[in-house]
Amino acid sequence: MNCEDYRQQISADPSFDGGAGHLSECRECQAFRREMLSLDERIRRAMRLAVPELSLPELPGIDEAADDGKVVSLDTARRRPRATWFAIAATVMLAALVGVRMLGVGVTYDSLADEVLAHLDHEPAALRPSTTPVAGDQLARVVPASVAELDRSAGLITYARSCEINGKTVPHLVIQGEHGPITILLMPDEPVAAAIQLDGENIHGVILPVGDGSVGIIGARDEQLERVEKNILDSVRWSI
Amino acid sequence: MNKSTAEAERRQRFDRLVTVWHADMYRYAAWLSRDRAIAQDVVQEALLRAWKSLHALRDDAAAKQWLLTIVRRENARYFERKRLETVDIDNLTASQSALLAEEPDEELDELRESIYELDDDYREPLVLQVLMGYSTSEIGEMMGLKQGAVLTRLHRARLKLKDKVAAD
Repeated sequence: MNCEDYRQQISADPSFDGGAGHLSECRECQAFRREMLSLDERIRRAMRLAVPELSLPELPGIDEAADDGKVVSLDTARRRPRATWFAIAATVMLAALVGVRMLGVGVTYDSLADEVLAHLDHEPAALRPSTTPVAGDQLARVVPASVAELDRSAGLITYARSCEINGKTVPHLVIQGEHGPITILLMPDEPVAAAIQLDGENIHGVILPVGDGSVGIIGARDEQLERVEKNILDSVRWSI
Repeated sequence: MNKSTAEAERRQRFDRLVTVWHADMYRYAAWLSRDRAIAQDVVQEALLRAWKSLHALRDDAAAKQWLLTIVRRENARYFERKRLETVDIDNLTASQSALLAEEPDEELDELRESIYELDDDYREPLVLQVLMGYSTSEIGEMMGLKQGAVLTRLHRARLKLKDKVAAD
């Protein structure tokens, strides 16, 4: 380890305890380390703002809280008449075609759809047919309990990775459908006002609004996604 | 268990968690928003959301990160709603200035002002590491960043503060 490497480490994390060999021989780095530790102590003191007295907001009863739409079973959000879904989807498709930005949502629908479709192109490994389930600890890392609760009823999960959509890390899962892999993107921070239909080369799918976020489901052109949507939505619940 | 007992137990659990972690929630919100009044609003919204979602917190040992994640989201929602302009440190509101006027300690005041002026991308991981005690991998998880990106931001944040302190 040289001086530059050591200083980079210690300035990123003053508790870094590696590089002992270098440190014992380099007085300049010893001084730099002392300086960083001292700076950190002053930063800590500067950041410790006085805290106002705790005042709780009015807290609703259990029933009211449970009825609030912020923490929802995905299934709850899905239960709408088919005709309503159809109308919403048609409206959104039209809006996307003319490039209308939907107010209050902060996401241009066609760009989110484009990003989801483009993402699949960049992860071809996810689209290989497989019968091997992903390990439980890998799944837990990709879908931490602080983001969502997930059970295995969605289907055989053969792929789980953290990916970036719209600048945010999201769980990217794959289950096996009748016509090949089905991609599931859990996007707790991507609100959409209504379902967005996805149409790519040889694939199709949908981004469904779920609570404060959305879930993308994409499969092969021949895949009957309606059949698997309910299973997927039943198996996931946002934690926040 | 009847409904009133369940409600009372839920309330006791909530009060216990909030008593322990309220200060961290407030300080995190204050350094994210750089405004005491906004921080109080964000914490109020976060408390309400935490109350409604309490059943989702399986392990109280994970409460701190859970609550801070809620604060982070509420802060983002607040700024999405309000679309506030970039803060100009020479033209602060009373509520923003109040964040800097903590105590009569000139050295700390200057450092606090330097932290205040850091970009959000640098200030937030620094708060999470120095004030909240999180490791770089935990910060990466909370901010949706790779650990390498967190290390780079922390490195740059400290160098900026070091240079600023040296210049002053």
